[in-house]
Amino acid sequence: MFHWLEKHPFFFAVGVFLAIAFAGLVEILPNFAQASRPVIGTAPYSTLELAGRQVYIKNSCNACHSQLIRPFKSETDRYGHYSLSGEYAYDRPFLWGSKRTGPDLMRVGNYRTTDWHENHMKDPTGVVPGSIMPAYNWMFTNNADINTAYAEQLTVAQFFSVPYNKPVPMKDGSTKIVKMGASVAEANADALAEAKVIAADMKDQNIKDAIARGEIPEIVAIIAYLNSLK
Amino acid sequence: MNKIYLWGIIITAAMLGFTYMSFDFKHGLSDIVNQLAVAGAIALVLITVFVVIKYVRQMQVDTATGELADENWDGIGEYKNELPMGWSIMFLGTMVWGMWYFTIGYPVNAYSQIGEYNEDSKILNDKFEAEHKSISGERLVEMGESVFLAECKVCHGISADGINGMAANLNVRIEAKSVKYAIENGANNHLLGTEMPMPDRNGLFNNNTGALITDAEIDAVASYVANGMTGAGADVFAGTCAACHGEDGKGMEFVAPSIATFTPELVVNVLNHGKKAAIGEMPKFDRLNAKQKEAVGAYITSLSK
Repeated sequence: MFHWLEKHPFFFAVGVFLAIAFAGLVEILPNFAQASRPVIGTAPYSTLELAGRQVYIKNSCNACHSQLIRPFKSETDRYGHYSLSGEYAYDRPFLWGSKRTGPDLMRVGNYRTTDWHENHMKDPTGVVPGSIMPAYNWMFTNNADINTAYAEQLTVAQFFSVPYNKPVPMKDGSTKIVKMGASVAEANADALAEAKVIAADMKDQNIKDAIARGEIPEIVAIIAYLNSLK
Repeated sequence: MNKIYLWGIIITAAMLGFTYMSFDFKHGLSDIVNQLAVAGAIALVLITVFVVIKYVRQMQVDTATGELADENWDGIGEYKNELPMGWSIMFLGTMVWGMWYFTIGYPVNAYSQIGEYNEDSKILNDKFEAEHKSISGERLVEMGESVFLAECKVCHGISADGINGMAANLNVRIEAKSVKYAIENGANNHLLGTEMPMPDRNGLFNNNTGALITDAEIDAVASYVANGMTGAGADVFAGTCAACHGEDGKGMEFVAPSIATFTPELVVNVLNHGKKAAIGEMPKFDRLNAKQKEAVGAYITSLSK
């Protein structure tokens, strides 16, 4: 049946490749597909959180902070449960980072709060003596780009089927629905409503005033993002 | 004598000579590594020459014998040789080993990163249990201090003073503004470990006057509690707060927490549930193990004494 192959080295090589590749397909792909599926408790980012994520990327936070907890006792004691690949399902791109000048931030939302981040971003050495992290004062005056974040939401919802406006299973058995506005105006209004909750926990009067005017400073967005890292 | 033996002697001598020249005699043969290296070099030379001579001789003098098989390919035939016994045993042995490895060897002993993590964690947790299970008193406070310096100082500061009001000052039980906040807004911070809310000011009567607590009375009782249950405001405390928090402010089991002193249980409950009040929000630290929480409780209780 395959005798003719012996006289055609090229097709023989193709056949060998297919035979070996098939083994790879059945061994690697199912496991890969399973591991890259979002784990229970991983929800898509809201508009404000995505805007905060863009602030995080814009300021190169990932150059000093990793977002990947390795399965070592010393790391899980300090940062919490080791990272699972499915937890990055909605990260585009993932922000694993390659170097820890500062601590890992994979689950920083579990052990830091809004007011701490506010104090820390304004004056890092004020809360962590000896810290070499610079202050990020401009985050308190620059406004977050909600429109771009909404564009990103629309894109990932359309091309990667990110489940916005759909129930997502959480760890405690409940479901969570992450909203994506039907229009730019609605997305901005949603982000502002979320920002108000965060600003209520902040001390800076300028931030509260900005929120009251309908603006969303970058610091509010990035705190929303950091609080979502759990 | 056959020429091949002559060549053998010449090549052996040349290679041993080369070995001799490349040897570093400065350190001599006293070192075991040098001895092994020289012995190995000599053995290599002799074995190489011996094997080469053996096969060259075989090519020169050997003649084929045995029974030819029937097949013949363009004049090239094949002898009917038995399979060597050693080869057969190894072949069968490999098949048996392969079956074992496929079904048991790999599945049972396979390496997994998470498996190694779980094993390491178990060893370290057991070690922690064994070493720290029974510590108490001064040692427990020391352990609490080290946990505090690792986990808590980022907000509460190295000296636990709350860094200028950014977090609670743990050197005192409670500050006046926290008392005021609790009275005005009520509180449900799980300090007892259960849902046991304290009503806000619209539910707090001063039994001395029979009316709701007033602003002036709130200020008075706040400074009374913050000053360690001394000074003015004692009457308001007795009339309003003592019913639940006790005459001495030390709380009552299942009813109200102590507001006169820290207790280890109170601290453990805050670690388990977090807290959100006048100063800000504290996240829960339930990832600490039970002994660590107990130690932090002992340390913080020791601070305000």
